[in-house]
Amino acid sequence: MTVAPQAVRGDQATKPAATRAAAQLRAVNPYRLRRQLNRVGLYASILFLVSPAILFFFWMLSLSLKNELDNTAYPPVFLPHPPTLANFIDVFAKNDFLTYTINSVIVSFTATGLALLLGVPAGYGIAKSKATKAAVLILVARVTPGLSYLIPLFLMFQWLGMLGSLAPLIITHLVITVPIVVWIMIGYFEGLPIELEEAALVDGCNIWQAFRYVAVPLARPGIVVGMILSFIFSWNNFIFGVVLAGRDTRTLPVAVYNVLTFEQISWGPLAAAALVVTAPVLLLTLLMQKEIVAGLTAGGVKGG
Amino acid sequence: MIGRRTLLASSAALLAAPAIIRTVHAQSTFDWKRCKGQRVVIALTKNPRADCLQQHQKEFEELTGIRVESEQMPEQQQRPKMVMELASGRPSFDVTHFSLHVSKRVVGTGLWLEDMRPYLANPALTAPDYDWADMSPGALRAATQPDGRIDSLPLESDIWLVYYNKQLFQQKGLSFPKTFDEMLATARKLNDPASGTYGFVARGVKNANVPVWTSILLGQDQETVTPDGRTLLTDTPGAIWAGEMYKSLLRECAPPGVIGFNWNECQTSFMQGKVGMWLDGVGFTPPLLDPKVSKIVDHVGFGVMPAGPKAQACPVFTDALGIPVQSKAKEAAYLYCQWATSKQMLLNLVNMGAGASPRLSTYQDPVLMKASPFGQEWLQTLLASMKIARSGLPEIVPVNEFRDVIGIALSNMIGGADVAKELHAATTAFQPVLAQSLKT
Amino acid sequence: MSASTTTLHPAALARRPTGRRNYARQYWLFAMPAAVVVVAVILFPWLFTFVMSVNDWKVSGNVYFVGLGNYEHLFHDPRFLWAVVRTLYFTTAAVVAPMLLGIWAAVCFAENFKLRGAARTIFILPMMATPVAIALVWTMMFHPQLGVLNYLLSLVGLPPSSWVYSSATVIPTLVMVETWQWTPLVMLIVLGGITSLPIDPYEAAVIDGANGWQMFRYITLPLVWPFIVVAAAMRIIDALKAFDTIFVITNGGPGTSSETINMLLYQTAFGYYDLGYASAMVVVFFALILLLSGVLLRMRKWEHGV
Repeated sequence: MTVAPQAVRGDQATKPAATRAAAQLRAVNPYRLRRQLNRVGLYASILFLVSPAILFFFWMLSLSLKNELDNTAYPPVFLPHPPTLANFIDVFAKNDFLTYTINSVIVSFTATGLALLLGVPAGYGIAKSKATKAAVLILVARVTPGLSYLIPLFLMFQWLGMLGSLAPLIITHLVITVPIVVWIMIGYFEGLPIELEEAALVDGCNIWQAFRYVAVPLARPGIVVGMILSFIFSWNNFIFGVVLAGRDTRTLPVAVYNVLTFEQISWGPLAAAALVVTAPVLLLTLLMQKEIVAGLTAGGVKGG
Repeated sequence: MIGRRTLLASSAALLAAPAIIRTVHAQSTFDWKRCKGQRVVIALTKNPRADCLQQHQKEFEELTGIRVESEQMPEQQQRPKMVMELASGRPSFDVTHFSLHVSKRVVGTGLWLEDMRPYLANPALTAPDYDWADMSPGALRAATQPDGRIDSLPLESDIWLVYYNKQLFQQKGLSFPKTFDEMLATARKLNDPASGTYGFVARGVKNANVPVWTSILLGQDQETVTPDGRTLLTDTPGAIWAGEMYKSLLRECAPPGVIGFNWNECQTSFMQGKVGMWLDGVGFTPPLLDPKVSKIVDHVGFGVMPAGPKAQACPVFTDALGIPVQSKAKEAAYLYCQWATSKQMLLNLVNMGAGASPRLSTYQDPVLMKASPFGQEWLQTLLASMKIARSGLPEIVPVNEFRDVIGIALSNMIGGADVAKELHAATTAFQPVLAQSLKT
Repeated sequence: MSASTTTLHPAALARRPTGRRNYARQYWLFAMPAAVVVVAVILFPWLFTFVMSVNDWKVSGNVYFVGLGNYEHLFHDPRFLWAVVRTLYFTTAAVVAPMLLGIWAAVCFAENFKLRGAARTIFILPMMATPVAIALVWTMMFHPQLGVLNYLLSLVGLPPSSWVYSSATVIPTLVMVETWQWTPLVMLIVLGGITSLPIDPYEAAVIDGANGWQMFRYITLPLVWPFIVVAAAMRIIDALKAFDTIFVITNGGPGTSSETINMLLYQTAFGYYDLGYASAMVVVFFALILLLSGVLLRMRKWEHGV
């Protein structure tokens, strides 16, 4: 569905996926032993690639479920016994995490939604018209260091009297989310076969309709990836929140940093707070995993 | 720039004022409810002082009928945020809690905070038992700007001292050192890397490490700048001696990685019972004695800062409360500041172990004397330290840059760099920045 | 095996009847709303930053016009110049490592194997997790005496490392965190490319007797190249701008050992309140980023050569 249009434009509809190529390869390849070895290598690779993440999240969980003495013990205590929820209770008792969660949800969802609304057509337009200048302009927003926005935007929003609301955060988050969506959509739309849209145009559609009813459905996997990525970047953004968020508009990453108390180190509550902040995105990852995989592998140009 | 003498004289004049007020108004009952129904927003720096204020916040609301919205922010965020908001002329708070040793000259130069003198002198606003004259001279000096304005009320004086592990000392038959030379010798004796035990720990990370060095420097009877705040004294023979001491203590006797330690890593090491001595602020006491987090609850000793060749002194760092000039609830905000720095509240603060009180009367309180929350040794160390307390950081506008430049030099020393060379280089690098800051 | 979308499409368009070209011209309208928003949000900060950069602009003092004084100072400021060097060092390592691992991971995950879904989910968790939260947990793991990492090293018989607590190891350690966190992004983008590859060239290659590496080198790599370039561009930009993890874990230390431009910039603006100087730094920093990503954009056309 993407790239390599010369193949796509061949007489047959796409049969994409290197996995299928690999399957084909296995069927043809007579050397069973070599295949077995490749298999072993593959599993070893996967184990090597995945283990750092497993170790890290295990340790994070472990820290959050142990009391403070076990957390700073050496040699380290790996399995909490008995596990305690005291750290989580502590975090929720001392911080208004509910409000911060709601703030984060509002900001990230709105910024992502707006980014899709603006970014998908933009990606299409740029891909189709080869408007490299527009691409560069939008890329520039992605490129500008976030820090450089802070002072001017802070002063501007204060001057406009907007600082008590979530609007400044949402607006600045657009600077993060829009370029991501656009950038990803350019890649997707560039790879779409032109025949489908040409056919639509010949059938009397205008370009908007061709976009809406042909290109967008085809690019849905790309939209999903773009949405997920822009959501993460928005959810995880720290530096804008530090400066632009106040008491009632604080987002979760800023709140978790605040748990790092002065004059008292507390590994347990810190790990617990970190987990609370990260949990929604991790959960989302688990739920959306299918979407991501489908979006990336299903090669949706069927019946072209 | 006004000299220290004039400054002292002016504050002395002020000291006299409340006394007169008291005689006149002693009989009348003070009206705490004059701002009833108003709302004040308090921007607190995250630390035990702020915890204490929030714990007692309800009492203030009942006393005054003022609604308080307070929140704590970590200092790395709160410091710049306070300055940016004040500079932009639309602060979101009515009271700000800040460190005088970091932000005093910045807020002073900007004339951003209300001058408290008229408020203190106004019997309608200041309760007769507030007793401004009770504030320690050091705290008064810290709260007074060079032009004589007092734009904040001191909330806490953080004394620096030495925590030590009595168990480790006993095992080696050592006693608490009286001088820095003894301290180094003691640290060397305690040091046993093979068993994971180290003689000494203190901040090695840049910026945060500067007060450790100035603690030693005060033993040479000198501070980091001349009294007029114009010339650096950071590469004098005394400064180099202090640098060598700092380097020896942290390079030879401290745990590996100390170059990256801030207070929290030091505290964690010390609480594990693996470190003989820890030099830092008194406000870190409570966790050390908390069995939930500390393994050395029964072995924590408290010692006064050792003497140097020329003097014995410990640095003190003052927290304060100020009111932005743009606040729309200045009187209510002032009532809050007054309440927060009252005798009772500062006594509460000490009882919580949240730090040392800037008021002299706190240390004459019979209850506190008898039942110190952290034992007599703690209290006696605090009292002895109060008497020898001096400013630990220069009162200049670019104090943060000063801490970085000197702090980097100190970090380099832990890495093995030559002390004299580093201090000369840092002094040469920072002198123009200081000169520049004095121009505007 | 040459030519790409980028070069093919205009040619294809040109061959079409003239009536179609009007459509082509209208396509840029699709980009307008996004462009308007982006320009609106970034134009003011840019102008303001530029104005501040030519002034001696301290938060608590008066503002004086100094022309290019701040810029001149920058190029004589060893602390800034070292920050540039460190930024380039960090960026190079924090791009190369995730790219290599990410491409490798993408090739692996393109295969069919048991538990692929689960493994892939776990693999992409680090990039989903909040950097600030991650950084705090890493900090605890790096503790030289009590940290779990040194314990793990001791288990396999290695000497303890100082991690972020030594000038020599701090940047490699931060690169390790960055790699751990952002390899999945590279993997996802490249995987998107691999899974959309056509099957024909592979069939042909298999018939010609090509081995796995040859197919990767001569089929997969060139076809996936645009995706790799996108991933690399994102990595370069993100590595240059890396802030959260360095800020939380080391704040530029020990000493200035991990003080990148971004760290120094933050410190100058929010520690020293020297907005003028910080703004000049922003402008130079921005130019540097543009330069590097510009070089990369040019590389998008590398396909011609393959």
